[in-house]
Amino acid sequence: MDYNQSDELAQLQKLSNEYSPEAEGPLVSERISSSAITTEYANGDPVYQIKTAALPQKYSFYRTCRGDGHCGWRAVAFSYFEALQKTGSKQKFFEEETRLRSLANLFLALGHPEHVYEDFAEETYSLLRTIANTNDDGETLLATFNDYGTSMSIITHIKLLTSAWIQTHPEQFAPYVVPQTIQEYCQRSIEAANCEIENVGLSALADVLVKPAGFAVEVLYLDRSPGEEVNTYRFDLTDQHGTVLPASHTLRLLYRPGHYDILYRPEDIPQPIEQPPVFVNLTSTMSEHRPDFHGMAGRDDNLAIPGMSFAFPHQTNWAFNPLYDLPSAPVPTVSQAVPVPAYVPLPVPHQELLPPQSIPMEQPISPPVSQPQPSSIGRNGPFRPCTYEFEINHSSVSLPVFQTSQFKNSHFNVAHYNNPDFQPEAWNPNEEYKHTERSRRNRSQ
Amino acid sequence: MSAPTKRIVKELTEITQNPPAGCKVRLPDESNIYNWEILMDGPADSVYAGGHFKIALTLPHDYPFKPPSINFRTKIYHPNITNDDKGAMCLGMLRPDQWKPPNKLMAVIVLIQNLLSKPEPDDAVEQGIADAMKNRRAEFEKTAREWTGRYAGR
Repeated sequence: MDYNQSDELAQLQKLSNEYSPEAEGPLVSERISSSAITTEYANGDPVYQIKTAALPQKYSFYRTCRGDGHCGWRAVAFSYFEALQKTGSKQKFFEEETRLRSLANLFLALGHPEHVYEDFAEETYSLLRTIANTNDDGETLLATFNDYGTSMSIITHIKLLTSAWIQTHPEQFAPYVVPQTIQEYCQRSIEAANCEIENVGLSALADVLVKPAGFAVEVLYLDRSPGEEVNTYRFDLTDQHGTVLPASHTLRLLYRPGHYDILYRPEDIPQPIEQPPVFVNLTSTMSEHRPDFHGMAGRDDNLAIPGMSFAFPHQTNWAFNPLYDLPSAPVPTVSQAVPVPAYVPLPVPHQELLPPQSIPMEQPISPPVSQPQPSSIGRNGPFRPCTYEFEINHSSVSLPVFQTSQFKNSHFNVAHYNNPDFQPEAWNPNEEYKHTERSRRNRSQ
Repeated sequence: MSAPTKRIVKELTEITQNPPAGCKVRLPDESNIYNWEILMDGPADSVYAGGHFKIALTLPHDYPFKPPSINFRTKIYHPNITNDDKGAMCLGMLRPDQWKPPNKLMAVIVLIQNLLSKPEPDDAVEQGIADAMKNRRAEFEKTAREWTGRYAGR
């Protein structure tokens, strides 16, 4: 009886261990604001709350990867291709294809016949060639990685490469896989179809795929360990003395126990070079037609003041947003599918490039209070991306300063302790947005 | 043609042109390359000698990233094959956690043949048959031959 019971329990335990909910979502998602991560943990464990609250300041965007047991491999593979595309050099893709093809030597050394890997490798080479000849903002890459067969082929290829690299560098990896042998480890934890990347695998993958391309890898560990920020671990390029060499690009991963996503710093995000000029014109028009604009929607030159960046996250550009998604507005460079805003303020001289007639005058230019609140334009998170654009380009842009620092430092500012509605700058992504915008606007009129 | 489909067609061509000894592979439905039918002779050195076993090999739609599934359509007395209407066999490289995308279906067929020659009672799905094989060998062999004659004759 007891025996049967324990048998049954063992069976149940086994089932429970093997249970995994059906993974959902795209294999690789669009780039979204990382404040979504903060929101996700807003009601969670305090350690996570603190750590995620600090995250969006440094890492403004992220992409989710489907948690189907391959997300770590997929995150690295995707970021690798994305980094290559950011180099903007066809030559680089050619070099990488040549280099990866030459890694067949690793397979040869292990006695793998060509048919073991060729089908999978071919998908990688083919994507390298496709992206090299594609001039887009990453739509092709994203679509390819969301094709299950292709992305799994590429993942299988890099897994085989990783396994071969570990097996041909036993002295480097053997100590980390005891009590298993290198071969056992590779069979079970790298080559098996259904196994997530581990630290040994990630280290080897960085060695074989990422570093030789001139890229570094950075992993942010978001776990319950004490501390106020996520722990960061880097796989850097080094010379033979261990000196860190500069990387042309860093692949950033967010690790939460059992899962990997892709992170971006603001400077990682490519800026479209060609500006949609209509926005420039709107900028000048806005300020002409709305005297009150000067008073409130300041260019955040005051962002340089620590902490002030969150005092007016929305006011910098609220006026442009209703026009951002207008179908009539020509937005040549950016597809709506990608949540990277095309809007980047131009230096003043460019304004005369466009005659004012081209402004869609039928656009409702109404007092700001009745301005429709563009809640979320198909993006996640309370921050509209253009807020970030201001921050990113802050130093290089010379728009007129609408707001004096005098105001910001005065008691009219709710952030000032003398203000009757004094509100310390505890940043809350959900509420601060609407609340402070309204209250300030009313006051300044 | 997508990459997985290309691979399946390639493997099917290889196997039909050069099948392992005692095996025939065909598609019951020519328009569906995901369902294969294998006709396998019982290995001469085994208790299944003289039998002809019909086996369904089903490829998942995400093959080769998931393993194929094997079902004996012919009833068989074997510790590693479920004695029900499914006749499922799932061990070794066919297990989801052991399957590797580079594995070829030729290797799967060879695995089935080896398993008919040498059942693995320590990794059994039919515990009763495994016990019989380990402890009452003569009885096991007798039943297996009987079943082979009864269900797997021509």
